[in-house]
Amino acid sequence: MKQIIDAICSKGLPLRDIQNANRVNLLALLWALSLGGTSFLAHQGYLTTTWVLASSFILHGVIGIWMLLAFKRFLRQLDEMERKIQLDALALAVGVSIIGFSLYSILDMADLLPDLKAAYLVVLLSLTYMLGIIFGRLSYR
Amino acid sequence: MKNRLKPLRAEHNWTQADLAGLLDVSRQTVNAIEKGKYDPSLPLAFKIARLFQLPIEAIFEDEDA
Repeated sequence: MKQIIDAICSKGLPLRDIQNANRVNLLALLWALSLGGTSFLAHQGYLTTTWVLASSFILHGVIGIWMLLAFKRFLRQLDEMERKIQLDALALAVGVSIIGFSLYSILDMADLLPDLKAAYLVVLLSLTYMLGIIFGRLSYR
Repeated sequence: MKNRLKPLRAEHNWTQADLAGLLDVSRQTVNAIEKGKYDPSLPLAFKIARLFQLPIEAIFEDEDA
Protein backbone atom coordinates (compact mmCIF):
# COMPACT_ATOMS: atom_id res chain seq x y z
CA MET A 1 0.00 0.00 0.00
CA LYS A 2 2.89 2.34 0.84
CA GLN A 3 4.40 1.66 -2.56
CA ILE A 4 1.13 2.60 -4.28
CA ILE A 5 0.88 5.84 -2.30
CA ASP A 6 4.53 6.64 -3.09
CA ALA A 7 3.81 5.97 -6.77
CA ILE A 8 0.83 8.35 -6.74
CA CYS A 9 2.72 11.10 -4.89
CA SER A 10 5.82 11.02 -7.14
CA LYS A 11 8.02 10.43 -4.13
CA GLY A 12 11.73 10.69 -4.85
CA LEU A 13 11.55 12.73 -8.03
CA PRO A 14 13.89 15.71 -8.32
CA LEU A 15 12.46 19.00 -7.06
CA ARG A 16 12.45 20.46 -10.60
CA ASP A 17 10.22 17.60 -11.84
CA ILE A 18 7.84 17.96 -8.89
CA GLN A 19 7.58 21.73 -9.45
CA ASN A 20 6.89 21.22 -13.16
CA ALA A 21 4.29 18.54 -12.35
CA ASN A 22 2.57 20.84 -9.84
CA ARG A 23 2.42 23.58 -12.49
CA VAL A 24 0.79 21.19 -14.96
CA ASN A 25 -1.64 19.92 -12.30
CA LEU A 26 -2.64 23.47 -11.35
CA LEU A 27 -3.25 24.43 -14.98
CA ALA A 28 -5.22 21.20 -15.51
CA LEU A 29 -7.40 22.12 -12.55
CA LEU A 30 -7.93 25.65 -13.92
CA TRP A 31 -8.78 24.16 -17.32
CA ALA A 32 -11.33 21.81 -15.75
CA LEU A 33 -12.80 24.67 -13.70
CA SER A 34 -13.09 26.88 -16.80
CA LEU A 35 -14.94 24.05 -18.55
CA GLY A 36 -17.16 23.57 -15.55
CA GLY A 37 -17.81 27.29 -15.36
CA THR A 38 -18.73 27.42 -19.04
CA SER A 39 -21.07 24.48 -18.58
CA PHE A 40 -22.70 26.28 -15.63
CA LEU A 41 -23.15 29.44 -17.72
CA ALA A 42 -24.70 27.34 -20.48
CA HIS A 43 -27.23 25.80 -18.08
CA GLN A 44 -28.10 29.26 -16.78
CA GLY A 45 -28.71 30.45 -20.33
CA TYR A 46 -25.86 32.99 -20.43
CA LEU A 47 -23.98 31.45 -23.36
CA THR A 48 -26.44 32.96 -25.81
CA THR A 49 -24.75 36.33 -25.21
CA THR A 50 -21.93 36.82 -27.72
CA TRP A 51 -19.35 38.39 -25.39
CA VAL A 52 -19.92 35.70 -22.71
CA LEU A 53 -19.54 32.94 -25.29
CA ALA A 54 -16.43 34.56 -26.80
CA SER A 55 -14.85 35.15 -23.37
CA SER A 56 -15.52 31.59 -22.25
CA PHE A 57 -14.18 30.20 -25.49
CA ILE A 58 -11.01 32.30 -25.41
CA LEU A 59 -10.35 31.78 -21.68
CA HIS A 60 -10.78 28.01 -21.94
CA GLY A 61 -8.59 27.89 -25.05
CA VAL A 62 -5.81 30.01 -23.54
CA ILE A 63 -5.71 27.94 -20.34
CA GLY A 64 -5.69 24.75 -22.43
CA ILE A 65 -2.77 25.92 -24.57
CA TRP A 66 -0.89 27.12 -21.47
CA MET A 67 -1.45 23.68 -19.92
CA LEU A 68 -0.13 21.94 -23.06
CA LEU A 69 3.01 24.08 -23.12
CA ALA A 70 3.59 23.40 -19.42
CA PHE A 71 3.17 19.66 -20.02
CA LYS A 72 5.59 19.81 -22.96
CA ARG A 73 8.17 21.55 -20.76
CA PHE A 74 7.50 19.03 -17.99
CA LEU A 75 8.17 16.08 -20.32
CA ARG A 76 11.33 17.63 -21.80
CA GLN A 77 12.93 18.31 -18.41
CA LEU A 78 11.82 15.04 -16.83
CA ASP A 79 14.10 12.28 -15.61
CA GLU A 80 14.41 9.76 -18.49
CA MET A 81 12.82 6.78 -16.76
CA GLU A 82 9.92 8.89 -15.53
CA ARG A 83 9.52 10.26 -19.08
CA LYS A 84 9.21 6.69 -20.36
CA ILE A 85 6.56 5.97 -17.71
CA GLN A 86 4.64 9.14 -18.68
CA LEU A 87 4.75 8.37 -22.42
CA ASP A 88 3.72 4.74 -21.88
CA ALA A 89 0.78 5.95 -19.75
CA LEU A 90 -0.24 8.47 -22.44
CA ALA A 91 -0.13 5.76 -25.13
CA LEU A 92 -2.27 3.48 -22.95
CA ALA A 93 -4.75 6.28 -22.25
CA VAL A 94 -5.12 7.19 -25.93
CA GLY A 95 -5.50 3.55 -26.98
CA VAL A 96 -8.05 2.67 -24.32
CA SER A 97 -10.01 5.87 -24.98
CA ILE A 98 -10.16 5.35 -28.76
CA ILE A 99 -11.28 1.75 -28.39
CA GLY A 100 -13.65 2.53 -25.51
CA PHE A 101 -15.16 5.47 -27.37
CA SER A 102 -15.73 3.44 -30.54
CA LEU A 103 -17.28 0.54 -28.61
CA TYR A 104 -19.55 2.94 -26.71
CA SER A 105 -20.64 4.58 -29.98
CA ILE A 106 -21.74 1.19 -31.36
CA LEU A 107 -23.92 0.56 -28.31
CA ASP A 108 -25.11 4.16 -28.47
CA MET A 109 -26.21 3.69 -32.10
CA ALA A 110 -28.12 0.56 -31.03
CA ASP A 111 -29.83 2.67 -28.33
CA LEU A 112 -28.48 0.36 -25.63
CA LEU A 113 -26.61 3.20 -23.92
CA PRO A 114 -27.38 6.92 -23.44
CA ASP A 115 -25.94 9.50 -25.86
CA LEU A 116 -22.17 9.63 -25.95
CA LYS A 117 -20.75 12.77 -24.35
CA ALA A 118 -17.27 14.22 -24.70
CA ALA A 119 -16.96 14.40 -20.91
CA TYR A 120 -17.00 10.57 -20.75
CA LEU A 121 -13.96 10.50 -23.02
CA VAL A 122 -12.09 13.03 -20.89
CA VAL A 123 -12.81 11.07 -17.72
CA LEU A 124 -11.79 7.73 -19.31
CA LEU A 125 -8.60 9.30 -20.70
CA SER A 126 -7.69 10.85 -17.35
CA LEU A 127 -8.37 7.74 -15.27
CA THR A 128 -6.48 5.45 -17.66
CA TYR A 129 -3.55 7.88 -17.72
CA MET A 130 -3.41 7.99 -13.89
CA LEU A 131 -3.56 4.19 -13.64
CA GLY A 132 -0.84 3.92 -16.29
CA ILE A 133 1.42 6.22 -14.26
CA ILE A 134 0.84 4.27 -11.04
CA PHE A 135 1.44 0.85 -12.62
CA GLY A 136 4.45 2.17 -14.53
CA ARG A 137 6.10 3.49 -11.37
CA LEU A 138 5.33 0.30 -9.46
CA SER A 139 6.84 -1.86 -12.21
CA TYR A 140 10.21 -0.11 -11.93
CA ARG A 141 10.46 -0.32 -8.13
CA MET B 1 20.86 -5.46 -18.38
CA LYS B 2 23.30 -6.63 -15.73
CA ASN B 3 25.62 -3.96 -14.39
CA ARG B 4 28.14 -3.18 -11.67
CA LEU B 5 26.56 0.06 -10.60
CA LYS B 6 25.79 -1.00 -7.04
CA PRO B 7 29.31 -2.20 -6.14
CA LEU B 8 30.86 0.82 -7.85
CA ARG B 9 28.56 3.10 -5.86
CA ALA B 10 29.48 1.29 -2.65
CA GLU B 11 33.20 1.80 -3.36
CA HIS B 12 32.60 5.55 -3.23
CA ASN B 13 30.29 5.32 -0.20
CA TRP B 14 27.52 7.00 -2.14
CA THR B 15 23.86 6.47 -1.46
CA GLN B 16 21.43 6.02 -4.34
CA ALA B 17 20.31 9.60 -3.73
CA ASP B 18 23.93 10.83 -3.91
CA LEU B 19 24.48 9.06 -7.22
CA ALA B 20 21.14 10.29 -8.54
CA GLY B 21 22.13 13.86 -7.74
CA LEU B 22 25.48 13.47 -9.52
CA LEU B 23 23.76 12.02 -12.60
CA ASP B 24 20.80 14.45 -12.48
CA VAL B 25 18.25 11.65 -12.43
CA SER B 26 15.79 10.43 -9.82
CA ARG B 27 16.71 7.97 -7.09
CA GLN B 28 14.14 5.59 -8.58
CA THR B 29 16.07 5.59 -11.86
CA VAL B 30 19.31 4.66 -10.09
CA ASN B 31 17.47 1.94 -8.16
CA ALA B 32 15.84 0.56 -11.32
CA ILE B 33 19.18 0.50 -13.20
CA GLU B 34 20.92 -1.31 -10.32
CA LYS B 35 18.16 -3.93 -10.24
CA GLY B 36 18.35 -4.38 -14.00
CA LYS B 37 14.73 -3.26 -14.42
CA TYR B 38 15.62 -0.23 -16.53
CA ASP B 39 18.32 0.18 -19.18
CA PRO B 40 19.78 3.71 -19.25
CA SER B 41 19.87 5.76 -22.43
CA LEU B 42 23.19 6.10 -24.22
CA PRO B 43 23.86 9.64 -22.91
CA LEU B 44 23.15 8.49 -19.34
CA ALA B 45 25.35 5.41 -19.78
CA PHE B 46 28.19 7.66 -20.97
CA LYS B 47 27.58 9.97 -18.00
CA ILE B 48 27.83 7.02 -15.62
CA ALA B 49 31.03 5.84 -17.32
CA ARG B 50 32.58 9.33 -17.07
CA LEU B 51 31.60 9.60 -13.40
CA PHE B 52 33.30 6.32 -12.50
CA GLN B 53 36.11 6.88 -15.02
CA LEU B 54 35.55 3.45 -16.55
CA PRO B 55 34.58 2.30 -20.05
CA ILE B 56 30.89 1.53 -20.51
CA GLU B 57 31.67 -2.16 -21.06
CA ALA B 58 33.27 -2.33 -17.62
CA ILE B 59 30.01 -1.19 -16.01
CA PHE B 60 27.28 -2.69 -18.20
CA GLU B 61 27.25 -6.30 -19.35
CA ASP B 62 25.99 -7.00 -22.86
CA GLU B 63 23.95 -10.15 -22.23
CA ASP B 64 23.65 -10.91 -25.96
CA ALA B 65 27.43 -11.03 -26.45
